[in-house]
Amino acid sequence: MFERPVPRWLAWATDPEQLRRAPFLARSPLFSGLPRRLLARLATRFFEKDYNPGEVVFEEGDPGRALFVIVEGAIEITRATGQGVYVLNTLGPGDAFGEIALIDDFPRSATARVTTAGKLLILYKSDFDGLMEGNARIAVVVMRNLSRLLALYARNSPVLVTDADPAPRSAGQP
Amino acid sequence: MKVSRLLTWGGLLALAWLARGLVLPVFLAVALAYLLNPAVAWADALAIRRSVAVGTLYAVIISVLVIAGALLGPGLFTEAATLMDRVPTLARQIDAGINSAVRELSEVAPAIRRLLPEGGNWVQRFVLDRSPGEPGDLFEHVGHLFLLMILVPFFAFFMLRDMHRIIALAMNRLPSQHVETSVAVWRELNGVVGRYIRGVVLDGLAVGALAALGLWAVRVPYPLVLGGFAGLANVIPFVGPLLSAAAAGLVVVLTPGQGLAGVGRVVVLFLVIKVLDDTIIQPFTIGRSLHLHPALLLGSVVVGSHALGVLGMIIAVPVATVLQETVRLLVEHRRVLARRDLRQQTITPT
Repeated sequence: MFERPVPRWLAWATDPEQLRRAPFLARSPLFSGLPRRLLARLATRFFEKDYNPGEVVFEEGDPGRALFVIVEGAIEITRATGQGVYVLNTLGPGDAFGEIALIDDFPRSATARVTTAGKLLILYKSDFDGLMEGNARIAVVVMRNLSRLLALYARNSPVLVTDADPAPRSAGQP
Repeated sequence: MKVSRLLTWGGLLALAWLARGLVLPVFLAVALAYLLNPAVAWADALAIRRSVAVGTLYAVIISVLVIAGALLGPGLFTEAATLMDRVPTLARQIDAGINSAVRELSEVAPAIRRLLPEGGNWVQRFVLDRSPGEPGDLFEHVGHLFLLMILVPFFAFFMLRDMHRIIALAMNRLPSQHVETSVAVWRELNGVVGRYIRGVVLDGLAVGALAALGLWAVRVPYPLVLGGFAGLANVIPFVGPLLSAAAAGLVVVLTPGQGLAGVGRVVVLFLVIKVLDDTIIQPFTIGRSLHLHPALLLGSVVVGSHALGVLGMIIAVPVATVLQETVRLLVEHRRVLARRDLRQQTITPT
């Protein structure tokens, strides 16, 4: 309904916030392919919060419980290693981050910090789970998009050697 | 600084004490808001302004209530009026039955006479003491009820309309680093309480309708009143179904021509309703929201009853569920933090 212009005589009864939010989410790679009706339902589950520069959205190791979509501003994603802090990515409007929290309850693998003041949409895991339970279509589409994103991350990530001195394998050992 | 803070807290406490009369209307309004929230969320998805959605919803509810009142009201009113007229006679009959039982028992064990003296008229005294004797009392009861009927939908209207704004305001005030965890915990608890309240109401409606139909089928008098009571009492776990079965059984005992066979039919009917409720209705209504152990469930009802009476018995289960969920989330939070510490130890060079 948000792609069609609302008739002027109905404008008084419409919520401009919802009219703005749903098409915005449609442009996010995580939610692309969702039909308008489901996208509108998903949009109602988001919360909005203003952030100032320097504020930490979440820190590496924090419990992950929500997904964030940037409406305005910019976010820097960093990760601490033994050699120092590395900037993994800088995200802008329309980008989503923290999406892994929707599928597991492991701690955050990176830190998200606000670099330019802005607004974030927040979707909590419990709300997303509640929506998926009643809508298999949402689950299928979002999980497919999430798998694509994860595959992309995996392809772009360097191969890490976790064991510097592996024990030599004997013949016949898998 | 300390004095001003003390004064602020003192003022807030005094204000809370003065507004204690609002606890029940606010509690009922919260329950009503939880009940209606899915309809408002559905309107949100259609990008309908909240005030329009809630106003339309209220108009629909009032229309449904008026139609239901027109259809069921006369029968319900007649049944209730007849039952109220018969209350003194019923109380006399029950007292006579108790007296006869005490007389028979005291012949076997005379010590019982000291504990339960014959002619105590327990039920008559209980009923007459409780009924509003003075016209002033009656006006006070009706006034309270009328005030609740106005205040509850009034508060619920504003909760439904403005809650998202209050949440947005609170979120913008919270330190950014704590928003994710604190609001997530609140969302989980909110989901559990919402599902429980909606489940309990649906369950009560189903049980009430089944009881009314069943009682009408087995020819028990006042099926609408007793069915309505069964639906309302169903809110209280364990005790509610027993109370509604006992009330129906009592009416059967005091109705000429029903006899023990009538009591048997009522017992079988309420057993069947209980089994249907536990196996078919509840899994679809309350099922997903309630994961309390039966012992905790019973314990919470007993504690609630001691603390706040009937209201305590009603709110005991959601309160116990929220406490259990809070403990579960805290334990989960600690587990995740322990994983973080382990991870930090592995990446920090030694």
